[in-house]
Amino acid sequence: MSLEPMPLFWLALTLGAYLGSRWLYRRSGRYLLSPLILVPALLLAVAVPLHTAYTEYARNTHWLMGVLGPVTVAFAVPIWQQRALLARHWPALLVGMLAGSVASIGSSWALAHLLALDDAVSLSLLPRSITTPFAMPVAQDLGGVPELTAVFVMFTGVLGAMFGGILLRWLPLRTPLARGALFGVGAHGAGVSRAQEVGREEGSVAGLVMVLTGLLNLLAAPLLVMLV
Amino acid sequence: MNPALLKKTLRLLAELTVLLALFLIGGQLAAWLGWPIPGGVMGLALLLALFATGLLKPATLQLAAGWLMAEMLLFFIPALMSLLDYGSLLRSEGWRILLVIALSTLLVMVVTAVTVEMVCRWRLRHEP
Repeated sequence: MSLEPMPLFWLALTLGAYLGSRWLYRRSGRYLLSPLILVPALLLAVAVPLHTAYTEYARNTHWLMGVLGPVTVAFAVPIWQQRALLARHWPALLVGMLAGSVASIGSSWALAHLLALDDAVSLSLLPRSITTPFAMPVAQDLGGVPELTAVFVMFTGVLGAMFGGILLRWLPLRTPLARGALFGVGAHGAGVSRAQEVGREEGSVAGLVMVLTGLLNLLAAPLLVMLV
Repeated sequence: MNPALLKKTLRLLAELTVLLALFLIGGQLAAWLGWPIPGGVMGLALLLALFATGLLKPATLQLAAGWLMAEMLLFFIPALMSLLDYGSLLRSEGWRILLVIALSTLLVMVVTAVTVEMVCRWRLRHEP
């Protein structure tokens, strides 16, 4: 259905749902009420019965995605602030980010083929463990669908934030570096929030490796294009 | 609007303008050099260079950078709504996709954490 008389309906609903959900989540602390889950659920609950197409939803909201460009620029601030951490521990972090990225891309590719997923879906799955502002351009380079990648990135974050806490109890990790990297490489932004709850150092490490893993993957994308 | 809030809002807008400008300059620079790198990443590199030369201090952009990263979710919500066009795909492949994401995420977390832990322990043993 078209909502011609109300051209800004979807923008208003998106902003309203976001602000409302953020407020609810801060008050309740319940994960199910976090904007990551509640906002898409709410928007879909309105859009699906109305048979809204993505192009119609995106008409007045797609500019929001344009802000991801300046977000990428802003990532320079945490990198610079954590440069002492990076200078001290770069070998461990670099090896961890490389191993994690290879595991991510390799296992996504292998599992997608094993389960006979669609080509567009398989390619869109490859960059799913890095943060959205980097994952979308990588998906574009690989010939996947950037929007689908954003969806897969979101699920990775939701599941990863859940798994991370469980894995910490199982794995004998003595260093905050390993605990932070687990969240930063495995579950990007959602993981960084969880890592901050585990500890201050874990949070800093997770934030730093989230950005650097994104950068690493983006710079390696042309290489990956030759492989797939 | 009270003066303190007004001042903070103006400050945020000014800082956001700087980040936006770096993004646009980064895009132009990448196009000019013919590099297949997004404007945001070029802008990030430029900003790091500005920090390194001391021309800009991170504190100058702290407000906008913090705000953008804290509200990042809002900026990719529209992409999530692409699900509207993939209803049939989700019905046919949804569970398999979720299985790939779950298993792969578990593997990535274990591999990353164990690798970092091993390198850290190795360095501890080999350093005086």
